[in-house]
Amino acid sequence: MKTRIPKTDHAVVKQLRAALGDPAPLALGRSRVRLTKWLTDEAPLIQWGEMSSPLGKLYAAMSGRGLCAVDFGRGEAEFLERFDPRARLEKNPKSVERVIAQLSEYFAGKRSRFDLPVDLSTLTPFQKTVLEVTCRIAPGEVWTYHRVAEVMRRPHSSRPVGQALARNPVPIVIPCHRVIASDGALRGYSGGSGLKAKRWLLELEGAFA
Amino acid sequence: MALRFEELIERHHDEIFAYVWRLLASDRSSDRKTEAEDLVQEVYLRAYRSFSRLRANTNHRAWLYKIATNCAYSRLRQIQGGRGKAAALANLAAVSGNAGDTLASHRQTGQPLRYLVNQLPAKQKACVTLRYLQDLDYPEIAQALGCSQESARANVYQAIRRLRLALEEKR
Repeated sequence: MKTRIPKTDHAVVKQLRAALGDPAPLALGRSRVRLTKWLTDEAPLIQWGEMSSPLGKLYAAMSGRGLCAVDFGRGEAEFLERFDPRARLEKNPKSVERVIAQLSEYFAGKRSRFDLPVDLSTLTPFQKTVLEVTCRIAPGEVWTYHRVAEVMRRPHSSRPVGQALARNPVPIVIPCHRVIASDGALRGYSGGSGLKAKRWLLELEGAFA
Repeated sequence: MALRFEELIERHHDEIFAYVWRLLASDRSSDRKTEAEDLVQEVYLRAYRSFSRLRANTNHRAWLYKIATNCAYSRLRQIQGGRGKAAALANLAAVSGNAGDTLASHRQTGQPLRYLVNQLPAKQKACVTLRYLQDLDYPEIAQALGCSQESARANVYQAIRRLRLALEEKR
């Protein structure tokens, strides 16, 4: 931005700039290196990769604790926006190799359960319990929101169960698509193209057979 | 896409370093480069702690300048306090680290304006530095210093006026 300076004060500003001066490039460089190193130690590292899937482009991300995000049917920018803005994001296909291999087997109908460490640290204890219960639903089977709530011994919590499922950071791997409404309606799905994706996944698992 | 913390370093590190380095110009007793480096680290540490709570429409540049101004002035107060205590201990008779910080000594080193700038009230010095050396506009200065734009303009005007008069007087 150009600074407009009144004519009479031009000389003063010129002298002011000369007097206060600029720091040496070496000092700037040293400080920048120190700061970058500090951030490397301080900020969590999220490594991510992508694959083509029948549901569109699928993204997966790993934190130090395990798989922390799966998303599909969205753009890369939208996927990356979900992470803590302080985290360091690094595209590293190798970090998600195992996740992508298992998902490929799943889409090919050769796998129905996943063997992956999952990071649910951003969720509340209630949300974690809902997702843990959801993992008990066998492929090809569907439960109602009410049944999940009952298994949790919170029979009046069907709606919070639905809300917790909507917060599932790793759809497909934690099969929140296997939970439907009591009247048989699919009700909702936050992954990819929504209900269309939910129906597709349930068909793949033979839930409608 | 929302700004990430890494970008905050890439985009603004150099200007924030230059800013605190300039504000520390009055500190002649210590290694200004190291002092500025420590301060920049402190600025980014504070920024890191509250970064995820920022509103989407925040002006990140002005926000960083605000933290930098607070950090620099806290540090300068510490330095001046330390000097004051040291001087008291020496019963004010001994030569203090600040004793050579006079207009005459700066004339000899060819830097009278630096001395004059350091004699400005803190807010005027910050305003004039932000406006003419850091190239912030008045809304940004107001945000960085937590004052109105009118106050920022008035402080810049007063600072330049003082410096001009002091320089004219000197001739």
